[in-house]
Amino acid sequence: MNAKRLIGSILMLSMLVALGAGCAKKTTDTMPASATKVEISDKDTDWQSKPAPARSLTEDEMRAQQREQAQREVGNMIFFAFDSFELTPESRDVLNAKADALKKYSLFNIIIEGHCDERGTSEYNLALGERRAKAAQQYLNQLGIPDSRMTIVSYGKERPLDPGKSEASWSKNRRDEFKLGN
Amino acid sequence: MKLKTWILTCLMLLVLAKGAQADALSVDIFGPGQNKVNILVLPARGPGGPGTSALAKSFAENVQSDITYLPFLRLAYMNEILGGDPSRGLKADDIDFKPLQLGRIDLVMTVGGQGQEIEARVYETYTRKLLVGKSYSQVTEGGVPLVADRFAAQLMRVLTGKSGFFDSTLAFSKRVNGGKELFTASALGRGLTQITADGGFNVSPSWSKDGRFVAYTNISDKGHRLGIWDRGRKVSRLRKFAGNVAISPTYTPDGRIAISLSLNGHPDIYLLDADLNPGPALAPSWAIGVSPAFDLSGRKMVFCSGRLGGPQIFMLNRDTGAVERITYEGSYNTRPSLSPDGRFVVFARLTSDGHRIFIRDLVANQERQISFGPGNDEDPSFDPDGYFVSFASSRNGGSKIFVTTRYGDPAKQIPTGPGDAMAPAWGVAPALE
Repeated sequence: MNAKRLIGSILMLSMLVALGAGCAKKTTDTMPASATKVEISDKDTDWQSKPAPARSLTEDEMRAQQREQAQREVGNMIFFAFDSFELTPESRDVLNAKADALKKYSLFNIIIEGHCDERGTSEYNLALGERRAKAAQQYLNQLGIPDSRMTIVSYGKERPLDPGKSEASWSKNRRDEFKLGN
Repeated sequence: MKLKTWILTCLMLLVLAKGAQADALSVDIFGPGQNKVNILVLPARGPGGPGTSALAKSFAENVQSDITYLPFLRLAYMNEILGGDPSRGLKADDIDFKPLQLGRIDLVMTVGGQGQEIEARVYETYTRKLLVGKSYSQVTEGGVPLVADRFAAQLMRVLTGKSGFFDSTLAFSKRVNGGKELFTASALGRGLTQITADGGFNVSPSWSKDGRFVAYTNISDKGHRLGIWDRGRKVSRLRKFAGNVAISPTYTPDGRIAISLSLNGHPDIYLLDADLNPGPALAPSWAIGVSPAFDLSGRKMVFCSGRLGGPQIFMLNRDTGAVERITYEGSYNTRPSLSPDGRFVVFARLTSDGHRIFIRDLVANQERQISFGPGNDEDPSFDPDGYFVSFASSRNGGSKIFVTTRYGDPAKQIPTGPGDAMAPAWGVAPALE
C-alpha cells in the first residue's frame, strides 16, 4: 500500500512537472522574451518550495479516483422486458458483481434509479420503475448489502437513455441505473 | 263534448309549441344523436355601414376560432347563402332571414364595433329570436380574445346549459430546462402561466374541486415528493413520504388527496388526512395500484391496478368496499378518468398502433374508441361537464395537449406554446381573473 502510494505520488509529481513545463512553454509563445524568463523561474521555485499542497491534492485526487473507480464498478446497468420487473439471469450476474463492488467500496451509498420505455403510460411507469429498482435492491440486500446503503428513485419514462422509437432504443430505456450517493 | 275537444286541441297546441320552442333553442350535447347546428357569422359592421373597427373584426375572428372547438356547431360560409350577406345592420329588423333559412343556417351572428365598443348578437333564424346579445365597452386589443371567449361561453351556455369548457383552467406538465414544471392556461390556451419552479420533474397535476390547489408529483434525486401548489399564495410546498413513491395524487371532491405510496413494499392507493398523513389503503392488493379518479360524489373511485397481471382498470365502491374490474379487452389499460356523474370511464389502451383513448359506458356496458392517433394518446381527463375529454398526444411529433368529446369528435390541439406538454387536468377555477 505504502509503495503504491509512493509510486502514485511520484507519478503525480512527474505529471505536474510536465504540466508546469507545458504551461511555461505556452507563455513563452505569447509573451515577450524578458517576461518569459521571470515566469519560468517563478514556477520552478513554486515547485521546490511547496511539496505539501501537492501531497494533499494527491489525496483528494485519489479519493476522486476511488469514487470514479467505484462508480465504474457499481454503475453497470441492468435491463428488463416490457412491462416487467423480473431480473434476468444476465441481470443477476451484473448484480452479483455489483454486490462485491459495494462491499469493496463500503464508504459509498448508492441510488438505484428505475426507468421505463416510452410505450407505457407515465403514471403506471412511475410505479413500474419503482418495482424495477426495488427488484435490484432486494437482490442486493440478499447478497448482504444493507437497505440503508441503497436509495430508490423511479423516473418512469421521464429520462430515456435513447430517444429512438424502435425496440432497440426501448430495450435500452427499460433499465436500472446505479449511481453513487453522498 | 265540443268543449272537451277544444280544451284538448288547446293542450295539444301548447305541447307542440313548447316542443317546437325547446327544439329551436337548445342543443342536447349528451343526447344520442349529435346533430350539428349551422352558424353563420356575418362580417363585422360599423354603426353606419360596413366599415368597422379592427377590434370588432378581431373579435369576430376569435369567436369563430372558439366555435371550432365546439363540435356541435358548424361554421357556415357566406357562399352558402343565396345573394350573399342578407343583413343591412346588426338587429333582427335589418336581417333578411329567408335566404338563411333556405341555406339551412340555424343561427346567425352579427358583430358591430366602434372604437373600443363591441356588440354581438346571435339570432335563431327560424324564429328570428335573439339567443345571445352582449355589448362590451373599453375593450383593448389584448383583451379581445378573452371577451370573445366570454361570448362563446355564453353562447354555449344558452345552447347546452353547460359552459365548463370555457369556465375551467387546465393545469399540465411542460418540459422546461431538461425537467418538467407545471403550467396553467384556459382550455383555449389563453393566459399560459408557469406556476411551479421546483426543479426535477413535476408530473400528474390534479386540481382540488374548489380550484384553490393543485397537487402533483415532484421527481428528483431526492426521490418522489407530493407537491401542493396554492393558487391564492402562488407558492408550492413539497412533502416526502415513507417508501419510495408518491404517484398520481388526486383530490377527492371533499378536498382530501388520494395518492399511490409504497408503504408496504409496493405502490398502493392511500387516502391522506387533513395533515397529509396516510390513512388506510383504498382497494389494496399485492400489485401496483395507481391513478385514482373520482366521480362528483366521491364514492366511486376508478384506478389502475396490476393485480391480475397486466395493468387494467378497476372501480372501487367506497360504500360497500366492492372492487369491480372495468376493462377486459387489451392487456394494457391505464390512467382512467371518471365522468362527474360516474357513468363513463375514459382510459388509455395500448393497441397495436400505440395508446388510444377509449370510453366505457358503465350503464350500457359498452366501450368505444374516441381517439385515433397516430403516435400515442394518453392521460385522458374529463372536463367538469363530462362532455369534453382532454389528453396528451404525440400525433404531431412531440407531446401536445388535445381535446375531443366523449363521442370521439375530431380532436383539436390546445395551444400551449413551444415544448412538450402533457397530463392535462381540468379545474373549475376561472382561468382568467
